[in-house]
Amino acid sequence: MPCVYLKLEVSVFLHPWVTRLQSNQLYLYFQVLLMGKSGSGKTSMRSIIFANYIARDTRRLGATIDVEHSHVRFLGNLVLNLWDCGGQDTFMENYFTSQRDNIFRNVEVLIYVFDVESRELEKDMHYYQSCLEAILQNSPDAKVFCLVHKMDLVQEDQRDLIFKEREEDLKRLSRPLACTCFRTSIWDETLYKAWSSIVYQLIPNVQQLETNLRNFAQIIEADEVLLFERATFLVISHYQCKEQRDAHRFEKISNIIKQFKLSCSKLAASFQSMEVRNSNFAAFIDVFTSNTYVMVIMSDPSIPSAATLINIRNARKHFEKLERVDGPKHSLHMRMR
Amino acid sequence: MEDDCRPLLSSEQTGESYSHRGSVDSLDVKVKRPFHVEPRNIVDDDPQERVSAEAAILNSRVHYYGRLTGSSDRLLSPPDHVIPRPEEIYIYSPLGTAFKVAGSDHASKNPSIVTIFAIWNTMMGTSILSIPWGIKQAGFTLGVVILIFTGLLMLYCCYIVLKSPKAISCVDTSNWEFPDVCRHYFGKFGQWSSLVFSMVSLIGAMVVYWVLMSNFLYNTGQFIYNYAHNVNVSDSEFGTNGSDKVICPYPNTDPGRNDTMNVLYLGSSGNDTSDGNSFEHYWSKTNTVPLYLITLLLPLLCFRSASFFARFTFLGTISVVYLIVLVTFKAVRLGFHLEFHWFDSTQFYVPEFRLLFPQLTGVLTLAFFIHNCIITLMKSNRHQENNVRDLSVAYLLVGMTYLYVGVLIFASFPSPPLFKDCIEPNFLDNFPTSDVMVFVARTFLLFQMITVYPLLGYLVRVQIMGQIFGNNYPSFFHVLTLNILIVGAGVLMAKFYPNIGSIIRFSGATCGLALVFVFPTLVHMISLRRQGRLSLPSALFHSFLILLGVANLIAQFFL
Repeated sequence: MPCVYLKLEVSVFLHPWVTRLQSNQLYLYFQVLLMGKSGSGKTSMRSIIFANYIARDTRRLGATIDVEHSHVRFLGNLVLNLWDCGGQDTFMENYFTSQRDNIFRNVEVLIYVFDVESRELEKDMHYYQSCLEAILQNSPDAKVFCLVHKMDLVQEDQRDLIFKEREEDLKRLSRPLACTCFRTSIWDETLYKAWSSIVYQLIPNVQQLETNLRNFAQIIEADEVLLFERATFLVISHYQCKEQRDAHRFEKISNIIKQFKLSCSKLAASFQSMEVRNSNFAAFIDVFTSNTYVMVIMSDPSIPSAATLINIRNARKHFEKLERVDGPKHSLHMRMR
Repeated sequence: MEDDCRPLLSSEQTGESYSHRGSVDSLDVKVKRPFHVEPRNIVDDDPQERVSAEAAILNSRVHYYGRLTGSSDRLLSPPDHVIPRPEEIYIYSPLGTAFKVAGSDHASKNPSIVTIFAIWNTMMGTSILSIPWGIKQAGFTLGVVILIFTGLLMLYCCYIVLKSPKAISCVDTSNWEFPDVCRHYFGKFGQWSSLVFSMVSLIGAMVVYWVLMSNFLYNTGQFIYNYAHNVNVSDSEFGTNGSDKVICPYPNTDPGRNDTMNVLYLGSSGNDTSDGNSFEHYWSKTNTVPLYLITLLLPLLCFRSASFFARFTFLGTISVVYLIVLVTFKAVRLGFHLEFHWFDSTQFYVPEFRLLFPQLTGVLTLAFFIHNCIITLMKSNRHQENNVRDLSVAYLLVGMTYLYVGVLIFASFPSPPLFKDCIEPNFLDNFPTSDVMVFVARTFLLFQMITVYPLLGYLVRVQIMGQIFGNNYPSFFHVLTLNILIVGAGVLMAKFYPNIGSIIRFSGATCGLALVFVFPTLVHMISLRRQGRLSLPSALFHSFLILLGVANLIAQFFL
């Protein structure tokens, strides 16, 4: 069970995962640990998924051990923290023992990145196992995901084979924890799909969301309705009433909106909504719930925008209620007076 | 900013789509930005995909990843193996059409015929004007034989130059030129000496250009003056009679002369009015015209980039083609005047075999010289396996062109009134200033040289400044000093020793020694030796080539 700070003295010293938003509210954050050996691609992955600009000087040239607290919040109260596992072994061991509790506490998700090209398989597995031990001790309910990354460097006909081998090894090593394995590369759709699956599993009551989404779509006569996670624009769920041609459209839309958000952030503006229209279709992207954005595609251009926007607004209230009603441990809001 | 909440596009705007990548400086939608629209998104009933799905999504990723890092950061650049095959790469136009990228690689590949033409075009230089003189110096039969023989020899040396980077297996030699190969085998010495000898050929060419430009400018000015003032100078020159006049500017000469202009100057001097005298005074081939050229060319040499002048390479082709036409026309009009006197010299003819033949080999060494850039030229050949064949065909064409011009001029030179010995190192000098066709040829060549001269100057500057200072344009004064030196050499030559035949043969033999005979054969022998395939006959043959090169250079001084 995660720690919950109930006392007011907490306002003087705030645990990193607890912060004050307004005077009366304490929000509890859970960690998403993104871990892996130095150079395995975590920073690039985070940059791509969360649309963070990578400045040159933050790229570390040597192997260091550091926990990079990012300020990326997603899914309401999850914070992404990046941790490099690498460098000299003695350092590793010391760090593990002394800082362990701090780092592995309050972990909701552990995402471990393996470089498929790594020549030190033994070492990689050793680090992974140490992390799993720490997780078992401090956050035994955490979900574990393993990403076998940089698969584009493997020849196409060998990819399935190599991935299956790794998956078996990892599943075996992870016992008693259950780990889900994905093979990823930033140069094909696998990265996007893997993170979409991860986020899908983290959304509370996602199946209910999907059913309601379908109903919503049918009611407003939309061609397609997509539900995006707010920070990463990963598609959590979608409904389509007819076959669409482009299988990669989710990733493309995600890339486009993230680029737009990057532009907006340079002006300290935030992106809220967008409407795109031509003689064949109208698309609406708008804030939906506290964790999600919605995209509605209407192929009947005779339906005025206002009608669709009203529909979306009404649906918003309904979906927000859904989220709050079922609030499990993820959306813990502790109000303190 | 209130713009956030309003829809970005009003519903009246149709047929437009979201901005995919664009200026981050302003949210003002009126500012024009480049945008990309896939054709399918505009034309909704086009079932056929013009772009493969993988290429389209990779395009989207590359755009997005490009925004995440600094422009010079290669962290998120697509590696080669994820980029679609060249056939799948398209260039989008904003209006939705997509154009396939023609050809693979950043260097576009040319068919054989284009490569052959490029080699022919590059090799055809001003030495074509000296071939008849060279044949005359060697004797007709010997001259033809030497031309063929030297052509084959240079072809073989060019072939081993072309082969040389491929023998180096440990390093990536795809960007290498022959000086890099020399550096690989001979270290710094090899690099510097190949650079120095390359400079000799370039600066030699620039000096020849200056002399020729002075010549052509003088003749052009003279023609215009004579035409404007209706001056007829035909009687004062020693030449044939009739409409196709051929003149002998310097009679009373003996073989192997070194002419000094001022003594034998035969022009329209002393026959004209005082105006003519002052015109002659201000428009003199050796005294003033070379200096007038300085005002035109020295500023052009100081330009930072020579890409503007590279557009005019077509002028060279036109000049050569026109020269061939001119030679054919003159030969038809003048007829053949050939008599074969094998070893003795008569008054009008020259022997078929002369001891002065090294002068022809010197000229031909520069005429067939392309060894410092053949690797680059051949790189863009589409079918690399045909390189040797294409090179041979190019050399054959070049040899045939030289042979054609040389033989025709020599054969049609009207010997009974004139001496074969009169053939000038620049055969256009054998035609009077008033000849219209030759005037056109001179004008063409003048324009062509004015455009090529800054290119040559740029090459010299890049090589010298790059090697010494590491910077192609260290400062205006460095460049100006270099240019003054080069121009000064040209002016001095034009004034005191405007015999382009000699300049060509000396510079040809010098740079040929290093870049045609010594370095390629040494490189070839060393690479064979490293592979253990150097046989005794091969070693002897290549050593003999080196000896030939050395003999060629030494003979220039003594014969």
